[in-house]
Amino acid sequence: MNVTESMSLALADLLRDDPRRVLLGEDVVTGGMLGWSRAAADDEALRPRLVPLPLLPVSLPAHAGGLALAGLRPIVLLSTAFALLEGLAGLREIGLWAGRSGGERTAPVLFVAPCGAGFGLGDESVEALESVLARLHGLQVYSVGRAEDAVARLVGAATFEHAEDPTVLLVPRMVLAAAAPDDASNAGSLAATSRVREGRTLTVFTWGEALEPVLAACDDGALDATVVEIGRLAPLDRDAIVEAARDTGRVAIVHAGSVGHGLGAEIAALVAEHALYYLDAPVLRVGGDDGVHAAADELRSLPAQGRIAAALGELANP
Amino acid sequence: MEPTPWDPEGATWVLDADGDLADGSAAVGLDVRNYYKALVAARCLDVRLSRMNLPMFASSAGEEAPLCATALVARDEDWIYPGVRDIAVSLTRGLGPDELARRVMSDGPGRVGQAALRIASPTAALGMHLAIAAGHAHGQRLAGTHAVTFALLGEGTTTAGVFHETLVAAAARDLPLVLVCRSQLWPSGAPAEAGLVGDSVADRARGCGIWERRVDGADPIAVWAATAVAAARARDGKGPSLVEVATTQLIHDPPAHRDPLERLRRHLDRTGQWTSTYQDVIEAEIRGQLDRAFAYGTEVA
Repeated sequence: MNVTESMSLALADLLRDDPRRVLLGEDVVTGGMLGWSRAAADDEALRPRLVPLPLLPVSLPAHAGGLALAGLRPIVLLSTAFALLEGLAGLREIGLWAGRSGGERTAPVLFVAPCGAGFGLGDESVEALESVLARLHGLQVYSVGRAEDAVARLVGAATFEHAEDPTVLLVPRMVLAAAAPDDASNAGSLAATSRVREGRTLTVFTWGEALEPVLAACDDGALDATVVEIGRLAPLDRDAIVEAARDTGRVAIVHAGSVGHGLGAEIAALVAEHALYYLDAPVLRVGGDDGVHAAADELRSLPAQGRIAAALGELANP
Repeated sequence: MEPTPWDPEGATWVLDADGDLADGSAAVGLDVRNYYKALVAARCLDVRLSRMNLPMFASSAGEEAPLCATALVARDEDWIYPGVRDIAVSLTRGLGPDELARRVMSDGPGRVGQAALRIASPTAALGMHLAIAAGHAHGQRLAGTHAVTFALLGEGTTTAGVFHETLVAAAARDLPLVLVCRSQLWPSGAPAEAGLVGDSVADRARGCGIWERRVDGADPIAVWAATAVAAARARDGKGPSLVEVATTQLIHDPPAHRDPLERLRRHLDRTGQWTSTYQDVIEAEIRGQLDRAFAYGTEVA
């Protein structure tokens, strides 16, 4: 079973657990482009809660927000995270909803969105869309880094473990295609940061599809590195980030897409503001190649393990 | 009376320019005097706000009928999604003048929503409230209620892509959504940027398979009747609708019969339900409330 299939089973269970949940998407009745709603579509009892909609590029996030305001818990299955750019104005509105005066309620909608390289879509992987989404007020943005965390993050996000705010779960396509572990738990888990590796020489902040190559580079190079996965990209867990930076005094930030105007810049600024006197070296950012890549070259948008290993080695042993 | 260049073509009316009701059945179920009071209150509010030189405020004088009619037709369980210029909806639906003034002074005249009254806050993105309203109507339908969602807009918003997407979504899922669209009349011809492509907004809605009516906004009874029919359809599960209301802004100085308040006043006068004393009393009441509310609101703001 791959990650997509395990998420499909988890989505069907989520519908069974809470009658307020519905799955939204153009082709949700037939399983969706990725097959995320297939398990729910196979269960006759769940089929009424698969809600197909015409293509609504501009209004889909706002429409889903309206469903939430009416008391439902919509889960929007997108075929690409870039659909959120087309609906950005509406996403902003539902994020602001809770802060509007007049006693408005929050709009608990979950958007599940594949992102980045992996399906041969070429240039789509460069922009690191999370930095755009993270800037919207009232929105929670999570990402999946490893195959074994995919279902836990999905369940945690769908139950709005942290806050009943509109939430985006970014699932890298590299992760979707990976094999799902047999023993993965169905319990939700939405840690804002996870220290997935402990070390004393340097601290690496990373998320999404960059997590696995970072771990591999640290292991292969026998680096004494702490690796912190940023599971919640917005709002950031500032205290945990600053503490992890102070622990070692050497900080690297590694993520997919190009580093310019990325979320890594925000983390670097946090470290500069609150941990500068603890640092022994300048903050380092490592990303993929900038520019428009042909579909066949899309992996250039990811930081390769060799590049990560060289950069982290230099930071650890200047 | 002969139609003037100010009277809309192809728009339904039941109250003629002199205030004679051509079809008595149109007003069945309507408390006409209460409606008239709501229209007068909306006009007094508009005059009060116009005098305050608030940023981003635009007068709705002459366009009150669809605002008051929507608030009167909507039941307690229904939601209303107004646009930024539709503050009179809140007043008619029962937001007290004190709270209304406080909200205008703290949030601005375009941001007066109130969840307790099921009035949503207008959105900053043009027309995005239509999409949220469609989603809300969708949720009501999936929940199996008979509640209706109303959304208000002006014809300028109909050029936005989200308007078209809202029509398509509402038609595709048979949503209990009533769109009430004000189309301003331009007796000397609309400029190209007014967004009035084709014959009418109602025609465009019909092209998407939506039930529609185009009524004369100077005739408050026709506006109420069309909105009531649209709401009844939505409540009965017959799907979405669009009521286009052809309105005349009083800032263009149209003839008196184009003013919906004057048209309904003539009707009340002809049927023995209006005196100048009655007018003085209802105006003094609402003006006093608004003056007190805004004097206090200005002090504390």
